[in-house]
Amino acid sequence: MPDMSAIANPQQRQFNPYAENGGTILAVAGADFTVIAGDTRQSEGYSIQTRYASKVFRLTDRAVLAVNGFAADGNMFVKKVKQRLEWYRHNHAKDMPLRSIARLIQTMLYAQRFFPYYVYNILGGIEEDGTGAVYSFDPVGSYEREACRAAGAAQSLLQPFLDNQIYFKNQTAARGYSHPAHLPLPDVLSIVIDSFTSATERHIEVGDGLEMYIVMAKGQTLPDAVTNLLPEELPSTGDGERVFVLKRDLKKD
Amino acid sequence: MSIMDHNGGSVVAMAGKDCVAIASDLRLGAGAMTVAMNFEKIFPVTDRIYLGLTGLATDITTLRDRFRYLVNMFTIKESRSIEPSTFAHLVSSTLYSRRFGPYFTEPVLAGLERTPSGGFKPYIAGADLIGCLNFAEDFIVAGTASDKLFGVAEGLWEPDLGPEDLFETISQTLLNSVDRDAYSGWGAIVYIITPEKVITRTLKGRMD
Amino acid sequence: MNALLSKFSATDADSEIRTAMDLAEEDGLTDAMWGSQAGFGQLVQGHAFNIPAVPNPTAFLRLHTDDHADPNCKIKIQHGTTTLAFRFQGGVIVAVDSRATAGSYIASGTVKKVIEINPYLLGTMAGGAADCQYWETYLGIQCRLHELRNRERISVAAASKYLSNLVYSYKGMGLSMGTMICGWDKTGPTIFYVDSDGSRLKGDLFSVGSGSTFAYGVLDQGYRWDLTDEEAQELGRRSIYAAGHRDAFSGNTCNLYHVKEDGWRFIGNYDITKMHYDGPGAVPGSLGSGYGYDVRTDNRFSVLPKPVSA
Repeated sequence: MPDMSAIANPQQRQFNPYAENGGTILAVAGADFTVIAGDTRQSEGYSIQTRYASKVFRLTDRAVLAVNGFAADGNMFVKKVKQRLEWYRHNHAKDMPLRSIARLIQTMLYAQRFFPYYVYNILGGIEEDGTGAVYSFDPVGSYEREACRAAGAAQSLLQPFLDNQIYFKNQTAARGYSHPAHLPLPDVLSIVIDSFTSATERHIEVGDGLEMYIVMAKGQTLPDAVTNLLPEELPSTGDGERVFVLKRDLKKD
Repeated sequence: MSIMDHNGGSVVAMAGKDCVAIASDLRLGAGAMTVAMNFEKIFPVTDRIYLGLTGLATDITTLRDRFRYLVNMFTIKESRSIEPSTFAHLVSSTLYSRRFGPYFTEPVLAGLERTPSGGFKPYIAGADLIGCLNFAEDFIVAGTASDKLFGVAEGLWEPDLGPEDLFETISQTLLNSVDRDAYSGWGAIVYIITPEKVITRTLKGRMD
Repeated sequence: MNALLSKFSATDADSEIRTAMDLAEEDGLTDAMWGSQAGFGQLVQGHAFNIPAVPNPTAFLRLHTDDHADPNCKIKIQHGTTTLAFRFQGGVIVAVDSRATAGSYIASGTVKKVIEINPYLLGTMAGGAADCQYWETYLGIQCRLHELRNRERISVAAASKYLSNLVYSYKGMGLSMGTMICGWDKTGPTIFYVDSDGSRLKGDLFSVGSGSTFAYGVLDQGYRWDLTDEEAQELGRRSIYAAGHRDAFSGNTCNLYHVKEDGWRFIGNYDITKMHYDGPGAVPGSLGSGYGYDVRTDNRFSVLPKPVSA
């Protein structure tokens, strides 16, 4: 007897072009620097597709973009942003300013309003006035400038921790003292590393490796405490902002 | 929305050095609307055991009464007060007795267990809604802010904290977690259990 | 002959360029994208949006983005808000909260829900954050073009109708916005409520969002046409506080704007928890003490002991 159930019952199929590839990204803006970080695990369901897939990309000498969500959409989106930035460079003989990249990303995401890129973007870098900046986006392009933001699988684990450690939320400064508006780079880096170690412990989609991009404002040098961590400097086109990459291992289980 | 989220609320317990702490928020909601800001979710079981219940408010109240009855019966029959590890299994079997029509609540308990040498050992445990026990050495979380609590607790907790440091750690963990959860907050209450005494403190939290 | 040849040749330079241009057209790339219009230029060309190649694109979008129908869907569009605006003797008061939620997670507590369209026009944001941000920025461009073409400022009625007609042309495709367009024009202070269903209503008092019922409660009770500026600003703040306090999806801070004859002015940003315990601070119109019920009753209502600070 052949299986007749397929004929007897109505069948329904759906076009599903999206997948969730896990991972988490995070960015923190300082007074004259920005740190943009992401783990390197790429997963689907309970399977790890690769232990090394970058989610953080340098766009210009002063802009770094982190993408999280559906990896295929993310990679395509980064490719298209880079293309638009190159055209801008050819037309205007300069790099696009950070706030303009933010607006560009909004319009590029919104152009896909009815067929969205399933991607959460965090843009970090140095503004034209030399300050560190972080812009965070939703998948269809609403955006906001902030000082710190986590996105992705473990955003709900990381963000309240950052609220506490970066913004000093729920902490009262001792009488006569006040909390700093911006933390120094070594403090930010250790908070970022702690955040990812915590997320790796408690979230199955986070782990394997950690990539931290550091964008330094024009004329700023890395503090000794950070130079000792041996970050790799990426070649820059001018003598303005500089971009460094710091890599760390995370647990692989 | 899940029935576990309807009333909102969160509980966290932490182990320290010769002490334990358990804390909860004070919200009682009906979906998005906040109805009360004085709904306590943590109840004393003995003078060394506190039980926190998250989930559906009606089941929290029912279970609180049920456990009071069961613990009273135990105390009368055994002529001694119940130990945390025994109580944990009482919680587990009570919940599992409703395996196919469960109470919609996730319990967290914190207490000090008497050791053979006469001292006290920190004891914390949690369970899912059908009574699967989870014994942790560090911390237990439950409720609508559980994922946030996991993240912050993992970042702030460290071994062998004294009562005051443990109070600070559990308070910061709870306050910052519920501030990122729409269904928890509106004030908080913390219990620090030491061999000598139980310290109760009400925290001033965000009211939105 | 040469032209004909090159038209069908697949190898010469002309053909290479033609292929590139065709590709660019397909991709929606136009001259406007190369210049300073930052992509908004695409809209003028009439092929703005990429639509999925499925029989029913709207159902496709709803399947993947609507978190009311399916809380587990992947793309979460941010919801939950309280916004209000009212007209009175001294102009228009616009007050909003600053919370964005994705499910039960509070994604942000610092959202700017008042969009400054131009120095005389404000728009509020409820529903899809991106829809409001994008279309109200676009509205700002069109309002400026109106000024340049007609040598006078656009009326609030015309601006709101432009937005209303625009979102109506996308009706049924899944846009989500509930906005109040507020300003001062030749006719005086004006508010229009515009939403993505196509409604456009003129009125004295509106509140939009999940916390609007709580805000209306305070607003209706305290509203009069002859409110002083200070009283009106306090009413706006107090109403947003009430919504932030009782609605789980509203809160964090209140942003307050006042529109007068010479354009809008930003009055301030007020922390809702601070308003609960201590009041909005030394600002005109405030009583100088906390709004909270437990604060006003000195905790006598509560069974709990008085709170100690951490």
